[in-house]
Amino acid sequence: MTETLQALVTGFGVALQPINLLWGFVGVTLGTAIGVLPGVGPALTVAMLLPLTAKLDPTGALIMFAGIYYGAMYGGSTTTILLNTPGESASIATALEGNQMAKRGRAGPALATAAIGSFVAGTIAVVLLTLLAPLVVEVALKFGPAEYFALMVFAFVTVAAVLGSSTVRGLSMLFLGLLFGLVGIDDQTGQMRFTFGVPELMDGIDVVVLAVGLFAVGEALYVAAYQSRATEAIEKMSGSLMMSRDDWRRSWPAWLRATGIGFPFGTIPAGGAEIPTFLSYALEKKLSKHPEEFGNGAIEGVAGPEAANNASSTGVLVPLLTLGIPTSATAAILLAAFQSYGLQPGPLLFQTQATLVWGLIASMYVGNVLLLILNLPLIGLWVKVLAIPRPLLYAGILVFATLGAYSLHQSVVDLVTLYVFGVLGFIMRRWGFPVAPAVIGLILGPLAESQFRKALAISQGDPSVFFTHPISASLLALTALLVLVPWAWKVMRERRSAR
Amino acid sequence: MAAAPGRSRAVLVLSLGVLALGIGATVVALNLPEAGGYARIGPNFVPKVVAGGLILLGLWLLAEYFTGGWREAVPDDPAARGEHAFLWPAFAWVTAGLMLQMALIHNAGFVLAAMVLFACVARGFGSTRIARDLAFGLVLGLAVFLFFVRFLNVNLPAGWLLPILGGAGL
Repeated sequence: MTETLQALVTGFGVALQPINLLWGFVGVTLGTAIGVLPGVGPALTVAMLLPLTAKLDPTGALIMFAGIYYGAMYGGSTTTILLNTPGESASIATALEGNQMAKRGRAGPALATAAIGSFVAGTIAVVLLTLLAPLVVEVALKFGPAEYFALMVFAFVTVAAVLGSSTVRGLSMLFLGLLFGLVGIDDQTGQMRFTFGVPELMDGIDVVVLAVGLFAVGEALYVAAYQSRATEAIEKMSGSLMMSRDDWRRSWPAWLRATGIGFPFGTIPAGGAEIPTFLSYALEKKLSKHPEEFGNGAIEGVAGPEAANNASSTGVLVPLLTLGIPTSATAAILLAAFQSYGLQPGPLLFQTQATLVWGLIASMYVGNVLLLILNLPLIGLWVKVLAIPRPLLYAGILVFATLGAYSLHQSVVDLVTLYVFGVLGFIMRRWGFPVAPAVIGLILGPLAESQFRKALAISQGDPSVFFTHPISASLLALTALLVLVPWAWKVMRERRSAR
Repeated sequence: MAAAPGRSRAVLVLSLGVLALGIGATVVALNLPEAGGYARIGPNFVPKVVAGGLILLGLWLLAEYFTGGWREAVPDDPAARGEHAFLWPAFAWVTAGLMLQMALIHNAGFVLAAMVLFACVARGFGSTRIARDLAFGLVLGLAVFLFFVRFLNVNLPAGWLLPILGGAGL
């Protein structure tokens, strides 16, 4: 415990250096801006910035990326409450109540409870991260390649199959991502795979081009084709931001309960952000003394889900930092960011780069404070940002997107690939294929293969090693259960209803 | 004509596409060398597994198609999704902007290519103020160029604007 505190103090020493404070500030400001803007998310922003920040000091750059990541959570509430078009599905719960509050002239308190709740949840979650990380690292140090491989299989399957509407489509995207990850030179033998003699493919498919293509170009094509001619109503933000005493009284228990729900869900691969926010909403509705207000602007319905959302995103950082396992597309991009500086998150990083890791964690405390300031008094600024006309917004996004992709190799081939992935992203959006498994497959796939082959090399080619090691065996069994049980349940339900 | 969502021709094509991808990948993977070494599995093992997985998933998608359609499919009717009908011109303008940028970036430079891209995308989203969009695009392109080339040492072609921009970062 004292070691943790010592490490955290060192971390603050790093995070509070003026240059890192500046990077943190840039990160959270940028994060809030993109959280406010529809069509851009933290995953896309970090992906776009990766090639452009390649020459910067890793600590500062990672502090900025982290700031973008959780800053976007704050900004997203503004859009959801005022615009009723949730940026991510996790905000649907907030949209339900928040927009109703805005329509009744209570946009101010809605925004306030979202911002303060996010701060409370975010800070508590970082404390939990601080306490939990060293414990997980201790366990993870005992992991060998077999355990890591099993863990990655668990992450793959849960992200692809357990969440989302269609298991088969999720798995298809996972395998597509894995296939993309195979393109290039095999690390261990130097063998070229799936390169078809094209020299640009020898380095593999760059995650930046894939992510920017799917998220920016694909999104632009889709919105242009299907949504661009609809008008959106932005609710006016009249009145002050002040919450009444009653608002406070109803909000703060919701914040705390939501943190308790959100954080654990964030840490497990099957989590995602939709489940904890909906759970929080349902819980608040059940416990509320004013259940009739739900659906018409109940403040708990904003306080809870927003806090849950934040706690969950911070929770995602636990497996990412301590194990190197991303549990969302954004986490996968953050992993790619670490890799671009030659760093591999995991227990070893805590040992060899303790200053960087703890500096990063300490920067999150600071970041949450900055975000509270940015999102309360400066809320008027973000409301103006929301008013940017969509044609200009998407045109700007694509300029930045192509900038990012082009700057990788100064090659038009990357721009062509970008467009191809854009069309792929369009298809995925139109026919309901989830994006996260593809990104995670691309980034985590090569790592999983490497662990798989290492495990077999150590066991001299004996595949039973995955089942004889207890941790590995239990993870694989758990994975199988998570897929088979819901499927069996569904089959039984269909049989019963067919009678 | 209007089949249930999940039974459209596009669904069939996509299902076959996944299957075809799997078959193609298998063919390529089977030509990779064994070269096991200590692990007894070589660079061809995981490719075979992934390719095989894609074949199975393609068959699964086809099975869903033939037994009532893809489950939990996205509704084909745009109104059911809260959207408007597919606008070909919008899609085409955004595509055109990106294609023009590809063609222009090396010769005319990043700034001018960005200007054209900006205006085309804005047009795709329904903007009718071409002059304004070109102006915005030019300003944005310049700002981006100067910031990223001067401050972050990113390599971007100046193209026809080289005399004005100087050898910025190149």
